[in-house]
Amino acid sequence: MQKTFFRGLKEVFGRDRGAATGLTTRFQAFQAVLDGNNRTLEAMTEMGEKLGGGYLFDVNYTRGAYAALFSAISGSLDQFNLLTDDRYPRLAEILARIDTLVQRMLSGSASLSSPLVVSYPEITWDQAEEVGGKNYHLAELANALHLPIPEAFAITTTAFTVFLHHNGLEARLAGLAGADGDALAEVRSAILAGGFPEDLSAELAAALESMRARLGQNATLAVRSSAEEEDGDFSFAGQFETVLNVPCTVEAVQEAYKEVVASLFQADSVSYQRQLGYDLGKLKMAVGCVAMVEARASGVMYTVASGRERDRMSISAAWGLGKAVVDGMTDADLYTVAKGETPRLFSRRIGAKEQMVVNLGVSGIATVETPAAQRPLPCLGETEVIELARQGQIIEAYFKAPQDIEWAIDTNNRCYLLQARALRVEEPDETGSNAQAQATGYPVLLRDQGIVVQRGTIAGKVFILHHLDELEKIPKGSILVARHDSPHFVQAIPILNAIITDIGVPTSHMASICREFSIPTVVNTGSATSVLRHGQAITLQAGEGGEVVVYEGIVQGLLREERQTAAKLRELYEFRRQKYIMRYIAPLNLVNSLEQEFTPEKCKTVHDLVRFMHEKAVQALVANAEGQGRGFNRFFGGKSAVHRLSLPIPVQMLVIDLGGGLRGNPGGKITGFEAVASVPLRAVLAGMLAPGVWQNEGVALRGADLLSGMTRAADVPGGAAIMENVALASSEYVNMSLRFGYHFNMLDCYCSDTPRNNHIYFRFVGGAAAITNRSRRIQLMAQVLAEQGFALKAKGDLLIGRLSGLGRQEIEGILKQLGCLIGFTRQLDARLDSDEKVTVLARRFLQGDYRSSL
Amino acid sequence: MAKHSIMVIDDEKIVGDMAKLSFEQDGYEVETFLNGESALERLKEKRFDVVVTDLKMKGVDGLEVLRSIKKLYPGVKVIMITAFANLDVAIEALRDDVHDFFPKPVKIKELKASVKRALGEE
Repeated sequence: MQKTFFRGLKEVFGRDRGAATGLTTRFQAFQAVLDGNNRTLEAMTEMGEKLGGGYLFDVNYTRGAYAALFSAISGSLDQFNLLTDDRYPRLAEILARIDTLVQRMLSGSASLSSPLVVSYPEITWDQAEEVGGKNYHLAELANALHLPIPEAFAITTTAFTVFLHHNGLEARLAGLAGADGDALAEVRSAILAGGFPEDLSAELAAALESMRARLGQNATLAVRSSAEEEDGDFSFAGQFETVLNVPCTVEAVQEAYKEVVASLFQADSVSYQRQLGYDLGKLKMAVGCVAMVEARASGVMYTVASGRERDRMSISAAWGLGKAVVDGMTDADLYTVAKGETPRLFSRRIGAKEQMVVNLGVSGIATVETPAAQRPLPCLGETEVIELARQGQIIEAYFKAPQDIEWAIDTNNRCYLLQARALRVEEPDETGSNAQAQATGYPVLLRDQGIVVQRGTIAGKVFILHHLDELEKIPKGSILVARHDSPHFVQAIPILNAIITDIGVPTSHMASICREFSIPTVVNTGSATSVLRHGQAITLQAGEGGEVVVYEGIVQGLLREERQTAAKLRELYEFRRQKYIMRYIAPLNLVNSLEQEFTPEKCKTVHDLVRFMHEKAVQALVANAEGQGRGFNRFFGGKSAVHRLSLPIPVQMLVIDLGGGLRGNPGGKITGFEAVASVPLRAVLAGMLAPGVWQNEGVALRGADLLSGMTRAADVPGGAAIMENVALASSEYVNMSLRFGYHFNMLDCYCSDTPRNNHIYFRFVGGAAAITNRSRRIQLMAQVLAEQGFALKAKGDLLIGRLSGLGRQEIEGILKQLGCLIGFTRQLDARLDSDEKVTVLARRFLQGDYRSSL
Repeated sequence: MAKHSIMVIDDEKIVGDMAKLSFEQDGYEVETFLNGESALERLKEKRFDVVVTDLKMKGVDGLEVLRSIKKLYPGVKVIMITAFANLDVAIEALRDDVHDFFPKPVKIKELKASVKRALGEE
């Protein structure tokens, strides 16, 4: 196809070298971008599958697969820069940054160029590894969620490496694999006796100076561990040292730092690390320095009260510092809250709180008897409980998992969050043996239909989605069933249990997202939306071998098996480490291409880059083709590649055949619909020619037509009339510009047998009637296009619709509908004198009724 | 009935770890080794029902492990895995002695099926 295409282009542009070179080169670049993007997505899909847990792989595989992916995306970027005249230099920087992070992960070493000390507000999304899990999560609460946390800074894992190096400890740690108690004690002493390199001391001094400037000279810090994975998949809860009430001086913080680092090699912590499959000495530790809160009361919030009470959270609270609660040394208050849009205090039990932990300033902390009068009082008022619960829900939603959160309320009644980490919730009733037997007796609704995108077994209620705007209405825990997939489903992913579609491919954006979030997903079942009923409870079993079974009802036995396997796999360190690189590759942050957010700066992953380039490549090509198109009447008045299309409707159109756009070799310059071979052009025209579309209410051939700019044969070319209707067409591509009077339709479409390459970009702007009427027309079109699954942006009399990744037949169907819409709406604005008409006419249009009066 | 035992040898820890986890789920007893030397030592003490080994390892490689096993326990089935897929010659040479051969990454499900066949369970 491509060869014919370019030959066509050359013929067309042969006479005007400037235009030819421009568009030919750009089209080649455009094709190369699509190709590079496809290869990138394929490599990503492949890696996601191999690293997903169903395969034995080694680091050679991961390196090789990543190298292939990197080469594909780099190639794509080169061509993209060519296409866009290097308009987005930032993309190369982002790709380089991703590459550094992945390479570091693959080699298992920290880069020495990263900072030694970072203040919390400066911690960015890609620094989780450098600042460690605990620092990262707490900083996220403020930076991403704008929740209150104390002033703080992190001493990075790079600083840890630098510190070890400075004290010649690296070799010693490397030899620790099977070390006994004595060897560990020696290492701890060596760390405690260690010195600090100048640059680390200097950075610490600067951070402490700014801390004192903000909090006063007497402020003190909690110096605590934040190991690489701490509070990530594994909590390391209580494994490492925390030093409280550390004065804001370099010497004091350095001493505390060494204590915390040395705790990596305490017996308990060592056995925990070994249990998790760490090679001792490999775990890097960052440290957090967090301003002490003058706590009136503190405690812990679990966003899930227990495995049986997932819709409730619990908050325990005691007077003074949180240590009393964390270490379980006092009978704390216990508040239970019913979760929901407005959380509700469900129950309250006031503990005896005989003891409390108090802050003695620089001399440390002490456990004291709680004054008798204070003991029976609740530590928290209802408003405080609800506010904490509200914040807890926000955090849980953000991290997509139940959370264990430490908090404190100071003497001025200000609430601070001190820590947030994943909460492991025990599943009730872990019994049941033979899973298959458990499924007998449950009716099978679907069997071995579709492609498994993400394996898993899960139950939930069916939610059949008809419009994208229903996404917001999906109840938590639903199984989304839709006609075809869409990257917009990402919004709903945090609340979905599974996704099943009638039509779809395993390499779509949505598929990648589902793998990233481990949402069981099956696409292309053919009939899910017709077989499954809205609201029906089902169990989906998507096997690693591609087997799919959907049972009616909830098959408890199957669900248990699945959870056990997943939990065990997570416990393999090396597996986690290699899988971790997918974090820099697969997640998609750029979801709506029409938002202000769609900028190079927002690209964080390879997937984002692919999406950004695809979008902007289409735009660049469209801009270019449009630019060329306007000049066509001058260049091609009598050339053979340009044909005047004669249609049985009052529309004249020039078709520039880019190769395979028109059938055979039409003898004359004038050709009819039957000669159109371009799949997308033919589909749009078929819609425009559909019975009833053009003949609405007999306005057809009045003076209005002239006014609406439909040019007649005699007017073209040359003469006074300006030829505005142009289609550049190849067998699988069309870019058409239609102007009717004061409004303008632009359609760019690629329609091939590879769904991923396919797109429709549609733009409509303008009109002659009053702005209210014009915007009503936009609303009507938006309703119709939304029905087809377009992502839309409408403002005033401008409408932009974008749709991609559908199969050829679907695209054809949508184009036909679009053709109808173009015809139907061309003079509609004048008739839309009320808002009611918009909905009525849109509904009628969708039913094939093209009358424009009520 | 006693559990069947599987020996897994690979110089990359992740391979042994994942294989161990997967086979243990199916009720096998699994021991993993990071090199041929330590595996051969262990083989002197214990007969395993199936051995899964990487081909290319520093020191004692998969071929040597295979030869030793065939001498010690001629009936024990050996499954070879390797990251280098285009070792046609090696595969040819090994055909008679090796129960199965997989390029890495190997699908765990296929490996399990192969082990079952080796044990005559399927």
